[in-house]
Order: sequence, then C-alpha cells, then structure tokens
Amino acid sequence: MKENNSFGYRLKRDWIRNRSLYILVVPVLLFYILFHYKPMYGAIIAFKDYTPALGVHDSPWVGLANFTRFFKSVYFGRLIRNTVLLSVYNLIFGFPAPIILALLLNEVRNKHFKNVTQTITYLPHFISLIVVTGMLTDFSMTSGLFNDIIEFFGGTRSPLLQNPDLYRTMYIASGIWQQVGWGSIIYLSALAGVDQQLYEAASIDGAGKWKQLLNVTLPGITPTIIIMLIMRVGQLMSMGYEKTILLYNPSTYDTADIISSYIYRVGLLEQDWSYSTAVGLFNSVINFCLLIFTNKMSKKFSETSLW
Amino acid sequence: MKRRHFALLMAAAMTAGTAAGCAGQGSTETETTAASAAAGQTAAGEKLQYWCELTTTVAANYTNLGDTPFGQGWQKSTGVEIEFLHPPTGQQKEQFSLILADGNLPDLMEYNWTVDYPGGPEKAIKDGVIMPLNQVFEQYCPNITKYLAEHPEIDRMIKTDEGNYYVFPFIRGDENLMNTIGLMVRQDWLEELNMEVPTTIDEWHDVLTAFKNEKGCVAPYSFEYTNNQYLGADPFVAAFGVNRSFYLGSDNTVHFGATEPGFKDYLATMNQWYEEGLIDPDLATLKNDQVSAKITNGQAGASMGQAGSRMGTWTTAARATTPEFTLVPAPVPTLEKGKQAEMGYIENPFSGRASVAITTSCKDIEQAARLMDWAYGDEGHMYFNFGIEGESYTMVDGYPTYTDQILKNPDGLPVSQAMSAYIRGNYNGPFVQDIRYLEQYYTMEEQRQTPIVWGQCNGAAHTMPPITPTSDESKEFSTIMNEINTYRDEMILKFIFGTESIDNFDTYVKNIENMGLARALEIENTALGRYNAR
Repeated sequence: MKENNSFGYRLKRDWIRNRSLYILVVPVLLFYILFHYKPMYGAIIAFKDYTPALGVHDSPWVGLANFTRFFKSVYFGRLIRNTVLLSVYNLIFGFPAPIILALLLNEVRNKHFKNVTQTITYLPHFISLIVVTGMLTDFSMTSGLFNDIIEFFGGTRSPLLQNPDLYRTMYIASGIWQQVGWGSIIYLSALAGVDQQLYEAASIDGAGKWKQLLNVTLPGITPTIIIMLIMRVGQLMSMGYEKTILLYNPSTYDTADIISSYIYRVGLLEQDWSYSTAVGLFNSVINFCLLIFTNKMSKKFSETSLW
Repeated sequence: MKRRHFALLMAAAMTAGTAAGCAGQGSTETETTAASAAAGQTAAGEKLQYWCELTTTVAANYTNLGDTPFGQGWQKSTGVEIEFLHPPTGQQKEQFSLILADGNLPDLMEYNWTVDYPGGPEKAIKDGVIMPLNQVFEQYCPNITKYLAEHPEIDRMIKTDEGNYYVFPFIRGDENLMNTIGLMVRQDWLEELNMEVPTTIDEWHDVLTAFKNEKGCVAPYSFEYTNNQYLGADPFVAAFGVNRSFYLGSDNTVHFGATEPGFKDYLATMNQWYEEGLIDPDLATLKNDQVSAKITNGQAGASMGQAGSRMGTWTTAARATTPEFTLVPAPVPTLEKGKQAEMGYIENPFSGRASVAITTSCKDIEQAARLMDWAYGDEGHMYFNFGIEGESYTMVDGYPTYTDQILKNPDGLPVSQAMSAYIRGNYNGPFVQDIRYLEQYYTMEEQRQTPIVWGQCNGAAHTMPPITPTSDESKEFSTIMNEINTYRDEMILKFIFGTESIDNFDTYVKNIENMGLARALEIENTALGRYNAR
C-alpha cells in the first residue's frame, strides 16, 4: 500500500480525527493574533516621531533616535540595574517558594489540615493588588502594624516604605505571600502524577523520607519545574509597572524605579509615546534573548525544553 | 477617510463663515445659517460628547455629571443635549493619552490644554486635535468676546503666541480666589500653650517643638506630600524666597528655585526639623486620608491645604470629639520678624486647568460654541456659580444667597457635595468663578480670614504667566525637565531625611546643571519674551 505523507494529506487526516480539538484551539489562536501579533505593528513607532494626528503610518521616521536617548539617559544604568536585580531576586526567592510549599503539603498526611492550609495560602491571590499595596503602605507607616512588631522585639519605629534598602524585600516578600499558594497548585498536581510504586521501591531499598524526596519526588516533577522556570525567565525583565507605581515614592526611586514604571511615567503621563515604545521594545528584546538562552541551557542539561 | 471628509466640511464651513463675516459685519444671522448649512447636515440633533474629569465632590454621589441637577439644568437651559464622558478618578492624564492615541475624540474636551498637552496648545492645533477658536469666538460667542474685550489681561493669557484662542477658559474672577492654599495651625493649642500664630521660621520651630513636647504630637507638622499642587504651593519653601520649580524673579526673568541658595537653607531647616521629630516621619507617602486622620485625632497640630476641603472638613470632623478644635490660617513664614514674605502661592486668574477645547471631531461647531459661550453671559454666569434660582439660591437684596438645600442639606450632605450637585463654582470648569460663592462657602470665621492671611505676600509678582513654548522647544524642554524633576524630587527627600548630607547640595546643583537646566531656562525665557510681546 502506498503511503501518502505530504503535509496537506497529514493535516487533512489529522483534522478529520481531531476536529473538535482544532475548533477548541481557534479562540486561543485568535486571541494571540489579535492581541499579541497585530499590535506588534504599532511597535514601529519606536523608530518614528509619533503623533496621534498623523497616525502610525504617516508619522516621520527618526531612526534610532529614541533608543539613543534612552541609552544616554542618566537613569539608564539605574533602571537596568533595578529591573535586573528585582527580577533576579524575585526569581531566586519567588520561584522556589511554591515548590517548597507543594513539597511540604505533599508530606502532610492529615487531609483536613492540608486542605485548610492550601485554601489559606492561595486566598491572597484573589486580593486586588490595590488592596495589597494599600495594606502594605498602612502597615509600613511609622504607626503601622510592622512597626508595632518591630517595636515589640525591641527595634525602633521607622517609615519602612521610605527606606530604599528595604524596598526590594517588601516587594518580593509581599509577592511571595500573595502568590505562593496559587503557584503551588501546578506542582501539587505534578506531584499527584508521580508513580507511587517508585516510593515503595525506594523504601524497600532503604531510602528514608529525605532520600525519597531527593531521588523520587524531585526528579518526578523536574519537567514541570523546568517548563515553569523557562517561562519565568522569559518574563524576567517584564516586571509589571502596577505594583511598583503603587508602592514607590521619590525617596525609594533609587531601588524601586524599574523600566516599566519609567515607561509608565514617560509614556502615559508625559505622553512621549515613541520614546516609551522604544524603551519597551528594548526590554522585550532582552526578554526574548533570555528566553532563548534558558531554553538552550535547559536542553543541554536536562533534555527538557520548550522547543 | 471619514475624518478627511469632516475636515473638508469644516474648512468649507469656516470659509463660508469668514466670507459672510467680511461681507456683512454684525449680521450674525447670515453667518450662522451659512455655516450650519455646510456643517450641520450630519450633526443636527445629535448629542454632543463632553469629556471631563468628575471631581471627587460630585463623584461621591453621582457617577455622571449628566445625572446631577447641574448637568440636567445646563442641557435644559441651552437646549443642547450632552453626553458626559469621564475618565476614572485620578487617571485623567492616562485616559487623555489613550483617547488621543485612539484618535476618536469627543466633541468637547475639558483638560489643561495649556500645560498638559505634549508640545503645547499651538501643537494641539497643528496636530489637528483641536480647533483654533478665533473664528468661532467671532461668529458664535458674543459673551466671551465681550468678556475678553473688557479684560485684556486675561485675553493675553488665553491665547497662544501666534494669537490663536484654543479653549473656553476657567477664570478665577477675583483675587481672593487665587490664594486658596496655605498653612493652618491649631489655635486652641496655641492658646493653651500661650503662644501666638507663628509668622517666622524660628517661631514655627518653637510652636512645633511645643506641640511635640507638650501635646505629644508624633507628627507636629503633617501635610499631603504626594499632592503635587501642595508641593508647588509649599509656604515653607516660599519663606526662603524660592520655589520648588520655575518662578518669575524680581529681575523679570525665569528662575529655577530648586538649585538656588535659598533652597539649600530650606532643605537644611527641614532636615533639622525632621530629625527633631517636628515633621511627619512618613512624609513621602502621605495622602489626604492619613493627614486628615492625624490632624483630627491630634497627632498633628499644623498642616497646609485649602480653607474649604481641608480646614473646614477637618474642623467639622474633629469637633465631634474635640469641641474646642480650631484651626486658624498662618501667613507665609519669613526669616525676619515683621517682614512680609516676598514669595507665596498665588495662582494666575487663568492657569489652563479645566478649560474646554472643541476637537476636530466635532461635527456641529456652532452648537458646541454656543453651548460653551452661554456660561460667560449673565444667565450662564449665575447658573455655573449659583445654580437654579429658587432651588439652590435666591436673590436677597440683589445678592445670590444659597438656599438650605446647599448650606443645610436635608440629606445631610456636606456643603461641598451639595454645591457640586448644582454648580461648578466651587471647583472649576469653563466659566468665570464668582467670589460670592466663596463668601458663602466659607462658613467659619477662620475660613473667611484665609484670603487675607494667605494673601500677605508678593507672590503674584512671581507666579509664572501661562507661557507657551513652541512645539520643538516644548519637546526639548520636557525631555530635560523629565530627568531634572525626577532627580530633584528624589534628592529633596534624601536631604530632608538626612540620607544625603546637605554638604552635597553643590553636587546636586551641578548634576542638575549637567542635565541641561541652562537650556530649559533659555526656553522658558524665550517663551516669556514672546508672551510679554503679545
């Protein structure tokens, strides 16, 4: 029998077999095309002197002027440093947190306790960022809750959100508090998929809880961890501006001002669209490079990768 | 395509109007018909879209200006149907950006076109965003034309260097409406401590120290630091003869206060006060609700702000638990006793704020223009400042007196909110503000003193007139000032908190100079030259 292996034939055969799956994926595809690919056209204003009256197409080209302006800006170094540091700290502390929580929860045998803990830890995820930062701001005031605690342990009261040295800690710790439970869900489901026979086999071989964790559980969820890590690194430089602009003030710009908050100030408040687009584009390019880099590394070391 | 079509129509309408205007002076009838015949085809009977910020005192009870008695009465009196559009509170600038980028403009937009349009008002006209209004004023706006003829100093303020009118302006119609922000201090405590209202920096130091030691204040002086308007108005900066930003020097040139020697003294003093615990330690994050709490519960004894929304509100709130609570205004402090302050916060009659431009998307210019012009006539003036006769005010001996609906609202609304439902006189908008609103809005004796006490300075001579740099200048200027302002804001706090030694002030000045301050000043001075030549 003659095998027809042309692309068209395979697609047709696949379509007949998995029609419903294809239909299912259409809205998602449309979403990406409409909201992620189509707007890319607008990114060309980074190379133009854009005014709304002229529109994207008719605004004059200015070459790399907007980029040079950013590279020459006195804040260039600081913005990069702050963005990178905040992202890296966020990765170092924020990434393992849900994994650890998931592993701990996995060892809990009391089902009730486990459910309650899980619910409590993922509830903060549903609190609006405005409320979270509002609470943080109030707690950090000289008369706030955090200072009550500090004083109780013999420290002195101080306005915490005016201290640039504490800003990153506050930013990242509150992020972990808010997202740890939610983030652990995916790992819990990965843990549920680890073959129970492996544990039996390991314990027969004399492995204790710790050895089981290292040699069975962790390898079992490594693919999930790697995928999550790659995705996380891909977004390393794209810290959102929302939390930053809600938490910072001029006294903490030193450590708090990041690329996205700068774009917000310049682009939306000063209405310098082209310049802010250039800065944003620069940011995306770095992100893109990081993503490719991590993917390569992971392919090399663990045989797990996105593509 | 659609827009080009409108532009053509518009041009046709304008030429028709001009031709008619040339032919028969004064015969408004012909002009009107000619213009509306050309422009009115598509628009007749359509609602006008009116974009403006919904001020907090309205937003407390209404989600749309069109729902208020004011909004409904305005439409009824003028016969124009209006659809009001509002940005989310506090996000006016962001939404303005988005609307511009989108290009789908409302017919009328209330905004600070003078200061907050990138490139300035002339650029807004050149960009094809808003209409130049010279023709429009001449053809459809007898009221504002008359007002401007009677007030040449305002006429000069509201046009561009090229001589184009671009907005229906918000104008403060009396000097006492221009100094509405100032210092205030707890009079009952002063009496208890046997002290006078402080007038010099040294006296302020003593008073705040006494508040701290005798009254147990944790934040003797607390004010809303995150409010940019307050930062610009700060009387303690003025005490040292400078300003945080640009001001008009006695030599009639533009100065940048934050790099001048007086500013160094200001920072040194504030740093000393901060370390002595006389200033709120949470300074940089203070918002209105926190300051309000501290003032009313006695954690703070002095603050700054408006006589109405701050002094009045705080006094009323605090008297519920502390009946003797009294705030009195304090003048701009000086360094020497008995002298009058040179600097001080006094606004221009026209600041650019809350002024309405007709956008190029507007299809029925005549209707829009007539709607806006109404407010500058007698009937509209009364309506914008006092509301509906018989409902929100009555004439008592020729004086428009607010009714109990406003002053003792049956639903228990504070005066500011009751007013905002009926008038715009108590905040802003495209009209001439009337002092008689303020005379009644200030219900307490201490409030009525504020214009006199806060006006004791020569600040008006140093307020920057509404100059308009050209679009190229303005672009360069904002690029430079963007960097400088960020740096300045940061450093000021560092100097005050003492994380940066005041000895480094010279380095700070040098850094600002390196960011291009000289060029920024040159741009401002050139623009000032053009303004003076208007």
